Formats: sequence, C-alpha cells, structure tokens
Amino acid sequence: MANKNIRSLSYRKELDDNLFENITALSKKKVSSKEFHNLAKRFMIDDSVVIGTASFYDFLRPENQEKKVHVCNGTACMVAGTQDQLTEKLSTLVDADKIGHVPCLGHCHKNNAFLYNNHTYSAHSIEALEKIISDTPALENTYYIGSSSTPILTSKIENITEFYTLFESYIKHPEKVIEQLKQSNLRGRGGAGFPFYFKLDAVLKENETQKYIVCNADEGDPGAYSDMYLMEHQAHKVLFGMLIAGKTVGANTGVLYIRGEYPNSIRKIKQAIKQLEDLNLLQHFRFKIIRGQGAYVCGEETALLNSIEGLRPEVRVRPPYPAQYGLFGKPTVLSNVETFANIHWILKHGGAAYAALGNGKSTGTKMVSLDSYFNRPGMYEIEMGTPLKSVIEEYGKGFKSEIKALQIGGPLGGIVPIHKVKDLTLDFESFTNHGFLLGHASIVSIPNHFPIIKFIEHLLEFTADESCGKCYPCRIGSHRGYEMLKKAQNESYKIDRQLFNDLIETLELGSLCALGGGVPLPIKNALQYFEDELKEYFK
Amino acid sequence: MKAYINDTAHSIIKGETILDFVRRVENREAIPTMCQDDRLDNFGSCRVCSVEVAKEKNGSTKTLASCHTPVTEGLYIYHNTDKIKRLRKNIVELVLTDYPTDKLVAPENKAPTEFQKTIAQIGIPTIRYPKGDNHLTIEPDRAHPYIKSDLSQCINCYRCVRACEEIQGEMILNMSGRGFATRIIKGFDTTFDESACVSCGACVQTCPTEALTDKFETKTLIPDKTVQTTCTYCGVGCQLEVAVIDRKIRGIQAPKTAEVNEGHTCLKGRFAFQFYNHPDRLREPMIKKNGTFEVVTWEEAYDFVAKKLLYIKNKYGANAIGGFSSSRATNEENYLMQKMIRVAIGTNNIDGCARVCHAPTAFGMQQSFGTGAATNSIEDLKEADAIFLFGANPLKGHPVTGAKLKQAFMKGVTSIVVDPVKTTLAKLATHFLQIRPGTNVAILNMMAYYIITENLVKQDFIDTYTEMYDDFKNHVLALDMDALSELTGVAKTLVKNAAIAYANANRAMEFHGLGVTEHFQGSKTVMLLSNIAMMTGNVGRKGVGLNPLRGQNNVQGAADMGVQPHQGAGYLDVNDPEIQHYYAKKYRINKMPEKEGLKIPDMLNAAIEGKLKALYIMGEDTIMTDPNTNHSIKAFENLELIVVQELFMTATSKMADVILPASSYFEKNGTFTNGERRVQRVNKVIEPIGNTKPDGQIIIDMMHKLGYTQPTGLTYDAAKIIEEIADVIPFMKGLTWERLGTNGLQWPINADGTDTKTLHVNGAFKKGKGTFHHFDFEESPEIVEHGTNYPFILTTGRELEHYNSGTMTRRTDNQYLLAKDYLEVHPKDAKRKGVTNDDMVKIFSDRGSVTIPVKISKNVKKGVLRTTFHQPEVFINIITGSVGDKETLTPEYKVVAVDFEKI
Ligand SMILES: Cc1cc2nc3c(=O)[nH]c(=O)nc-3n(C[C@H](O)[C@H](O)[C@H](O)COP(=O)(O)O)c2cc1C
Ligand code: SF4
Ligand code: SF4
Ligand code: SF4
Ligand code: FES
Repeated sequence: MANKNIRSLSYRKELDDNLFENITALSKKKVSSKEFHNLAKRFMIDDSVVIGTASFYDFLRPENQEKKVHVCNGTACMVAGTQDQLTEKLSTLVDADKIGHVPCLGHCHKNNAFLYNNHTYSAHSIEALEKIISDTPALENTYYIGSSSTPILTSKIENITEFYTLFESYIKHPEKVIEQLKQSNLRGRGGAGFPFYFKLDAVLKENETQKYIVCNADEGDPGAYSDMYLMEHQAHKVLFGMLIAGKTVGANTGVLYIRGEYPNSIRKIKQAIKQLEDLNLLQHFRFKIIRGQGAYVCGEETALLNSIEGLRPEVRVRPPYPAQYGLFGKPTVLSNVETFANIHWILKHGGAAYAALGNGKSTGTKMVSLDSYFNRPGMYEIEMGTPLKSVIEEYGKGFKSEIKALQIGGPLGGIVPIHKVKDLTLDFESFTNHGFLLGHASIVSIPNHFPIIKFIEHLLEFTADESCGKCYPCRIGSHRGYEMLKKAQNESYKIDRQLFNDLIETLELGSLCALGGGVPLPIKNALQYFEDELKEYFK
Repeated sequence: MKAYINDTAHSIIKGETILDFVRRVENREAIPTMCQDDRLDNFGSCRVCSVEVAKEKNGSTKTLASCHTPVTEGLYIYHNTDKIKRLRKNIVELVLTDYPTDKLVAPENKAPTEFQKTIAQIGIPTIRYPKGDNHLTIEPDRAHPYIKSDLSQCINCYRCVRACEEIQGEMILNMSGRGFATRIIKGFDTTFDESACVSCGACVQTCPTEALTDKFETKTLIPDKTVQTTCTYCGVGCQLEVAVIDRKIRGIQAPKTAEVNEGHTCLKGRFAFQFYNHPDRLREPMIKKNGTFEVVTWEEAYDFVAKKLLYIKNKYGANAIGGFSSSRATNEENYLMQKMIRVAIGTNNIDGCARVCHAPTAFGMQQSFGTGAATNSIEDLKEADAIFLFGANPLKGHPVTGAKLKQAFMKGVTSIVVDPVKTTLAKLATHFLQIRPGTNVAILNMMAYYIITENLVKQDFIDTYTEMYDDFKNHVLALDMDALSELTGVAKTLVKNAAIAYANANRAMEFHGLGVTEHFQGSKTVMLLSNIAMMTGNVGRKGVGLNPLRGQNNVQGAADMGVQPHQGAGYLDVNDPEIQHYYAKKYRINKMPEKEGLKIPDMLNAAIEGKLKALYIMGEDTIMTDPNTNHSIKAFENLELIVVQELFMTATSKMADVILPASSYFEKNGTFTNGERRVQRVNKVIEPIGNTKPDGQIIIDMMHKLGYTQPTGLTYDAAKIIEEIADVIPFMKGLTWERLGTNGLQWPINADGTDTKTLHVNGAFKKGKGTFHHFDFEESPEIVEHGTNYPFILTTGRELEHYNSGTMTRRTDNQYLLAKDYLEVHPKDAKRKGVTNDDMVKIFSDRGSVTIPVKISKNVKKGVLRTTFHQPEVFINIITGSVGDKETLTPEYKVVAVDFEKI
C-alpha cells in the first residue's frame, strides 16, 4: 500500500487538526506559498504533498478561487437544457468569469441549479435570480416525497430520545446486531450491493484499538439525491446506524464525508449531531464531518479514505480492504448513507421482517430519485422488486415529454431504452441480468430530441474530468474517447469502430476502479440500442 | 497449496501475488509491468500486468491486475491469452499517444530503457487515435547538478513518487492535478534544485523511462563492464554497481540484490565519484627538497623513506616512529600497515582515525560486553518496536540507514532521540530529550534511575547473565534527579517517559554516533548505554542491542585489524607475553614489541616533546581533522620525517617530506567492514590512475625495503592477505575471498564459513558475564576552564553532501549542492549578537579563531552553536580543544567553549 509514511504522519493529527481540512482552509484563503510550506512543515511532510492534494479538487484549485457562482452541468440539468440560459442570465448579475461549474447539486427534480454563497438554488426568472444574488436567502430544496408499501427510510421520527432507546437492547450485544443484519440481507446502497453485516463482522474481528466508521455521503452521481434527502430529512436514521455500527465493532469515531455541493446536508447533519449532544445521547461516540471539495471519485471508497487523510484521493489497490486497512490504515466500516439509514428499522423490527420485503436477494426498499421529466419528480422509497414500469407510471406519474431512454444508476449506470422498461424490476438482479445496473437508483430521462452521441460524449467527458488519473486505461482512455466523440461531431472525422471497441474493452477490463471500468456499460448500451443514431459517426 | 498457470499446477507461497507467482515459476518477462518495482509497494496503475483468472479449469474468467491480486489455492491463471495480449497492446497504444515518437526505441549508442524493453516485448502498436492533448511540451529541468527531468517522456507510473517516499523517506515528488492533466511535480512545483530533494537518485534509478535521468545517464549506458564494490563514504557499506567504459567510471547504480542497501544509496555513493580522476589527484611520488616537492621515482622514494626510518630507528629506537592508519583504507591495508609498524619497524605506535571517532565505542563495549562492535544487524530494524537514537544524525552521516530509521519513525514506531540538536529525526520522534552538549552521562543516569524506580528492570536477565548490577543501582538511586534535570536542561518527566518507553518495549534497539563518543566522558557514556540495554534485557536477541553508527566506512575493520596501540589484529592485548608470542609466530618473526604504544594525541605530544621523530601516515588528513590545529602543526614541525600516502594534496600532505601517491578504492581490491560487522568486498573497477599504487602495495614494498618480506608475496593480493588475516584473527577463521560473495559475511565467521548476525545471544556475553559500570557526571574541563570566558558551547556535525573534511566530495558536483560551512545560531542569540543569516562572524576559543557565515536555526538551543567541518576555508579545528575522552583520548569535538562576534 502506497503512502504509508504520509498516512501515518497525517494520523498523528488525525481528525481534530485534520490535514485535509487544513489544506482546504489554506487553498480557499489564497495565501502565499509560505503558509502552505509551514503547514507541510507542521505535518513533517513536503510541500509536494500539500499542493498535490490541493490541485486535485475543483473547489481548491487556485484557478477556481475567483468563482462565485457554480452552475450545475450534471446530467439531469444537461438533458433538461437549462444550463445555458441560466448561465446567460447569471452573467448579467455577476462577472462571467466568476461563474464556474459543478456536476449536480441534487436539484435534478427542478434543474436550473446553481451553488452560491454556500447555498444551492433552482431559479430561472431573472427576478428570482436577482433576489438570490443580493440576499442569499435560505430556501428549502423541496420536492415530492413518496413511498411504496412499508416506509422504512421515509417514515417520520416522532421523538428522538425514544428513537435512540433501541440502542439499549443492542449496545452490549455486537453478535445480536450482526445476526439481525445478516438475516435482513441488507446490501450496500452505494452501488456495489455488498452484504453489510459482512463488513461489521470483519472489522469486529480485527485486533486494533483504533477503528472507524465512515459514512459515504459523497453522493456524486448526477441525477441522484437520495442521500441528500436522508441527510436533510432523516439525519437521525443515518447517525443511529453509524453509532450502533461503531459500538458493535468497537469504533468510537464516525466520519461523515459529505460532498461540498450539499451545504444544506452538512448543516442538517451538524444540527442533528448537536441535538444528540444536547440530549446526551452520544454514548461517547465522536462524530466528525469532512466536507468534500469537488471530486466525484471521492465517492469511491478508498479514494474517499485517502481524501480524509489529506492524500490525493487516488484509488487504492485492494486487498487490503477498508475493513482491514481503512482510514489512517485502521480497520474501518465504510458504507453508504442509505445503508446506514436502514439499520434502525432492521434492529427494531428484526432482520426477518426486513428480508420479507423485496424479492429474495434484494431485500427491503430502495430510494429512487426521479428527474424533472417526470410528471411528479421527487424522491420515492420503493420496495425492492417493484416493476420499473410502475415506478414510472404510478409514482412518477409518467413523463412530461417523449422519452427515448433512461439512465439509471448514475453516470456508470446503464442506458435503458424505453422499450426495455417493461422487462425490469427494481432490484440488483433484474438490472444486472438485463445488462444494466441498479446502482444508486437515480433515474435521468433522455428525451427524444437529445442526441445519444452527445449523451455518451457527456459521459466520457465526465469520466475524463473526474478520473483520478492513477490508472492508465481511465486516465488516457477516457480522455481519448471524449476527444474522438467530440471530433466526430464537429469535423468530418469518423471514428474507427474497431478502435472504439478496443478502447471500451480496455477501459472495462483494465481500469483499477469502477469509474473507468463502469463507463463502458452505458456506452455499450447506447451502441447496442441506438446504433441507428450513432452509426453516422463511425466508419 | 497449489494454483495453476495455463492449467499446469505449481505450489504457491503464502502471501505472494499472482505476479510474484508467475514470475517465480516462469521468468520475469512472463508478465510485463510498467508501474511495478520489487522494492515498492504494489500500486496497480499501469494495468499491463493484467491476467485472466478462473475459479475452475476453462471456467469463466475475470481480468485482474496480477501485481496486486494475491494468488489463492486452486486458482487458474491464464496470462497470455489473446484477450490479455490485446489488452496490453491497447494500453501501450494509449500510453504512446502521449509519449515522444522518437523515443520508442533506443538510439544505437544507448541501452534501451525498461519502458522501451517492455513495449518491445508487448509489441509496439500503430497509433490509431487522432492527435489529441498531450504533455509533450513540458520543459526539461536541468538545474540540479546531478538529477534532470524531461517529463515529456513521463508515463505517470508514480514509481519516482513512491521511491522517494518508500525508499528514501522523502516526499519531494508528487502528482499534481487529476485525470489526463496529472503530471509529476517536485516540491512546490519547482525544480529538483529548488526543492528539498536530498539527491539520493532513487527516483532516477526506478524511473522506467528517461523522464528522470542523472547527469551521467547511468541507466542507458552500454558499459564495457560493471563491477560491484563497496562504497567508501560511510559505515553503512552500500554495494555499488559501477559501470566502466573505456577504462573510465561512467556511472553508479545500486544493485537490488544487495542485502545492505537493497537497491538504494545516497548521493555520495551514487554520484560523488568524480574525484577519482580529478586533476588534483596526486599522480607521482614526491620528495620535498628545499621546501618544494619534486617528482621522483618510486624506487627513489622508497629508498629515501627506508633509509631515513632505519636511521631514526637506529638513533632513537623504534618507539621514536609512529604510524597513523586510515579507516578509509581496506582491511588488508590496515592489517598490513599495523604489521609494518609492529613488525618491520618494531613499535606499537600505531593508531588510526578511529581515535577521533569511535574508539570509546570499541573500548566501552568491550568493558561491558566483551566485544567492541555492534551487537545486531540493521535488518533488525524491522523487528524493533522501540528505537533509541543517541547523539547521531544518520540522515546526514549514514543516509541509507537514516532513511530506514526515518521511515520507521514516520510510521510511528516508539522512538527516543537524545541530542543537543533538533534533527529531523528528533522532530519525528516520540520522545526527544534535547540535552546540553556534554551531559550524556547525566541523562543516562536519569534514565536508569527511572527504569529502576518504575520497576521496569528485567531482574532475571540481570541475575543470570550480568554482574555488578547492585553497585550501579545503588549509585543511581543515590543521585539527585532535580540536580541532573537542571544540569541536562531536560525536564524530569520527559526523561522518565522516555525511560519508560525504552524499558517497556519488547525489543528496543539502540543506535549511537559521534555525539556519544566525541566527549570527555565518551567511553563512560558507551558503558552506561550498555547498562541500560542490559538492565532491560535488550541484548542478545533480534531487534535489540547497541549499534554504533560508524563514522567512516571502515572504522570497524581498522580496529579489527589491530590499528590500535594496545591491541593487535583481533583485539589481542599486546602487553601480554603470550600474545606477543602468538603474533611473532604468526608473523614469522622472533620478537614483537613489548609494551603498548601511543595513541594519536600522545604521539603528537611526544613529537612536541621531541621524543617522536617520524610519522608514517596512510590516508589521513591529521592537520585538518584533528582538534587544535595549531597544536598539530607544532607537533608536525618538530618531526624529522613525515611520510604521507594520499590521494590529494591535503593540509597534511603539504607538511610531508615524502608523498606516496595512493590509488583510490576504485583502483584496488580488498574488503571493508561495515557498522554491523559485515566484511564486504571492494573490487577493483579500474587500473590505478597515473603512477599511483594501492596503499597495500606501497606498504608491502616499504616493508620489503625495511627488511621484512610479506609471506603472501611482493604483490598486493587481497585474497591472499585475507588468508593470513583469517589465520591470525580468531573470529575470522572462516573468512575467504571466495566466501564473501556479493553480500559479505558478518563476523564472527566460523571455520565452516557461517557468519553471525547477532552477538551475545541468549545472554552468552563474550566476556562471560555482562558487566555494569557506574559513573558520575563530570563537567568537561573545557567548560570548567573556559566556560566563563567563552560562554557558548559549539558542537560539530556533518552534512549529507560531504564526507568529513571533504577531500573527495569537494572534488565532485556535491560542492555545487553545498559549498559552505555554516554556524547555526539560535534566533535569540543571533539577535543578542546582532547577526542575521549569511553575516560573517568570528568565532573564537582559547585556541584561536576562525570566520564563518551564520545560519539562524531553531534546531539548536539558546547558548549552543553548531557547525560542520567540511570546507578548508573555515578550518574549524583551529578552535577545537585538546580535551579528550579519559579512557581513549578521543577528542571532544562536540563540546567547545567559544564566543563569537560579528565582523
Ligand atoms: C467512481 C465511484 C464513485 C462512487 N461514488 C459513491 C458515492 O457517491 N456514494 C457511495 O455511497 N458509494 C459510491 N461508490 C461506491 C463506493 O466505492 C462503495 O462501494 C460504497 O460506498 C460502499 O458502501 P455500501 O456498501 O453501503 O454501498 C462509488 C464508487 C465509484 C467507483
Ligand atoms: S478507473 Fe479512473 S478513477 Fe478509477 S482508479 Fe483508474 S484512473 Fe482512477
Ligand atoms: S533524488 Fe531522492 S530525494 Fe530527490 S526526488 Fe529523487 S527520490 Fe526524492
Ligand atoms: S517520472 Fe518516471 S518514474 Fe516518475 S511517473 Fe514519470 S515515468 Fe514514472
Ligand atoms: S504492474 Fe500491475 S498495474 Fe502496473
């Protein structure tokens, strides 16, 4: 494992005087190189470590420090076509060169999204924009919230103290927690679907005094905002899950890595932690929020760990897995927000009750986020195994315009042509068997008028922008793929099909992580189902 | 346990990766790699090591990177399928879209780089991609004297970044940006020269392309031959692989198979070889006639010296002659030198430069354990759970061991540093006791006190294997901790915590350097360090012990060979008639000199008194390096004959009557013994330069002229001398040139050729029982006598770039890296004296004064100054004093009472 020396130097100051937060603070202050140097000296590392890290993040790069407004260029806002108008209008209010970009702000249900003064907004009338720019009002991000039969994640918590009493029957019984979670067959909601109890079990068995719980709240998939919902409306479900996981495996620290594009989630989680403190419910557990600084790959678990440590968030090799060698090299349970949020219900109602929901291997419910092409966009908690068709028609109430395909499960999820919808049910197996991916279950609609070539160009551009740059296929391949697709639309250039297939295969087989390894899936779907549209660009 | 390669079963080794496994069974080329280096942690960036893997024969396969996937029982591995070949070729094609097209194959006069070999093996594809963004216009960096970059050839394998961190323990290199835009940066995105790079060259050696190269383009040389030899620059004893073209040394790499340095060296070993044919090299024998040197033939020189020596011997007796040998010379040469003085001249007046460095270590450890050498091996670092570093700055003086220590410190091993200077290692350490220079005995007594009062002594070890503990204990318990704390300037709790940390470790390993020995109480400090180790049971196992970091490359060997006035080859007491008889028999003469000889400081005093008339000096710059220069000069001026064997016209050479030009270590065979008792081969790389001869040859010739014929013949043949050494020195019985192989042997070397990594195993001390000694702190006479008039304490040390007085390193490009000695001054003292960075100050002591530029530094405490002694311009030894270790007379370079003022 690379970077052991830097990692353990960073560990000396750990989370309270955290290297990454220090680098963040300096980068945003636009200080002289001397101050970076002093920081490096204080951590007994070299300058290169500090600026190598700073140079990685969108929000920390020197060239982005002048930006005041960040307009979303995520997939949902792109297909909705709101980005150009919004930028145009905003540039009447702020200098054009002070407008930057972010990929997705969790306003996919409304679009016209932008980040300003640590708040996210959706607005398109010039009056609304003017008001926002002058007053920075704290506006709620509102959307429809629905659920199917049994609400697990969307049910309301009536009384916090009572909610946490469940703790008492489990705090001394790690084996009981693990047993219930095993029975529930809860699988990770961050995309990979890995059985959750397994991580707890593995970390419990590690013989180390320092262990960590890390909540992956870096929800970077453009189109997805379910983790955002959970943090902003169900914070205690998430915190309870982390707390009990910590007590189960012997970890006293829980880190929430929340993306910087969700400032409101950070506020809400902070409030919830404060509530726990005030109610004396913390059980000597320490929560720490680390704010992401704009890098999609930080959602990848090992990049996320490096990020917290102040290293460059490059993907680590596995093994060792985070359960053995996680945050600061210590055993770590790392899971997604939604995964943690399920735990309370499971422990309260029993693993069997949870397993009874869903279909066999995919149990419980799944949060699904619908974009603005739906008649009723919003956040839905859907029982696993529900036909996709009913998600669209019953819950989303159908589409506003003609839709030719859906991208489900983020930028690395499959492109489902509309005629395949009827074959799919909302669970891991159905999607995989049909050559798609449930992923984090965001749904972005591709309208008929939107060229597929542009869509896959966007996916490769996104991958190239967000690639950590460590492994060759992704670092070079995604960029070359993007260059070719762009060139084919602007010039007489036609793409060598064999070359393109080779490239896709190289990304798929060769990439170190699921960014480079995952983007071939939607591209292959596109090539398969939209050959007519695409063939003119190839030779 | 078995796994399958292309359906054939082979045994697997626990913990190996698929890559290790396949390469072990087939060969290195079986799977190509780019980002992988055996010395670095696996990284998985290039992906060309990918293989197909199935759970069952012909089952469905997954493609995995073999370099970071462990091989498991029953795995089916297919590493050469069409799919894999296609994948590799496609990756190479991508890489080549951002790589200069004229660098695909090596030009005729250069060896291919590792990358060029790898792509040739995979097959160089035609690039089908349209021209796109690239890094081909990155400007080369040529600012550093040795290390260059041309990042247009960089393939982003991160090997340099990892080598810098994982091999050298620095973090100079990193990637910047992300995705396609990533690129290598140095420091604050600057040049090598401006960065904090320590010029070790690890990054260059591992870089598979010519993105990083050195001035000598070592990686792509096509040498006529390469010769492995042992570095001359410090007691680590790195193996070097020297490339020769046209009988010239063209570059040096570190062999990966070397146990000592595992493919690493510091900048001195790797780059600082240009001195060997520097125009300043002495090339002809010379005799001083009327104050100027005149070139003579070897015959004339020999005759002149022989005649004069015999004349002096006849007139004043053999004891009017003395010899200084050199820890830079080989064992064989040191052996011959002491033999010449003892046998051909007939006196025990033989001493060496260990006198000015580690004599107290040899003496002190002999008193405590029975053997004056490191008890353990450096590889034990991996097993130690506490490291105790006392008075040493190995990052500068012993860089390759230093790098290992630094890594252990960074990774958080329990570490204790005692030093007056806040070194980098001190900053990284768990416990740092910044003592006033000269209070070593006091701080160790404090540590012992707390180990006792905290009930952390290993009583059963003490009872079974040692003696005199109770005396020591009673002595220590009677001491006043408050007074000692005041004296040392270190708070009691700090000392207590450090003591507890040391005593609580399962395996605590001690290292010390000249900060222990070059003191008034040097030998006593060594014995107290031994006490601390014994009372906690930290002797005689892996990962523990006392491990002196030897100053020069062959300090250990010179002492082993008998370069000491009181002990002959193998540390036998020359005062003992039986031993005299033993040596006489071995040397085939009738009679050995009867009483022990004089140590260097005594010889110099004897010269001043007119009792010593001739000095024969091999490879030592006494004038520059010994303390109190004016005193040395006075002594030299009083001599009738000074003979100097040297490479350069040093301050000492200038005072010689006869100069015999010697060959450098590249020009001869022999052995050096490193700090862990490892005897390693020095192999001749090139023929002697000019009309020089190896020191060993000169001594044999000289002895012949003096009437003694070396039984191994009149030609210096290291292998034969070794046979004789093995016959004379009991603990080297099994030593032969052949057996030394490429990694040497650690003494004791048994008759069957097996060697010894750890001494005093299981409490079996060489001297029977380990002995506790006890001492009180005593203020150095230097402070007592001069402390009031000269209120500052000056302490000396080395910098990484130079080797001692710099005779060699100043004659290389190292001089561009560091051209000055500085005086480090605490900011408050600087303010008081009204000086700032680079101001020249005059620094004076009771002996004299020198001028030197100032560097303000918080690494020294108020009242303490530090400087180096590499540059002749400063000649710091003009001010150092004549106080020395009571037992060994090793000078107290580390405590000089001085004052300074701005000029
Ligand atoms: C490029 C990339 C981005 C990812 N982003 C996220 C993310 O935003 N949130 C998340 O929970 N998991 C994300 N993951 C998956 C994580 O690596 C990891 O599998 C997950 O957090 C584990 O938690 P779970 O078991 O609860 O799903 C991402 C993976 C990749 C390869
Ligand atoms: S696939 Fe991309 S993001 Fe993942 S490790 Fe490789 S370069 Fe980094
Ligand atoms: S020469 Fe050594 S210290 Fe300098 S950058 Fe290379 S590896 Fe790092
Ligand atoms: S400079 Fe050399 S070692 Fe470093 S990343 Fe580039 S090719 Fe690899
Ligand atoms: S050698 Fe395995 S990825 Fe480079």
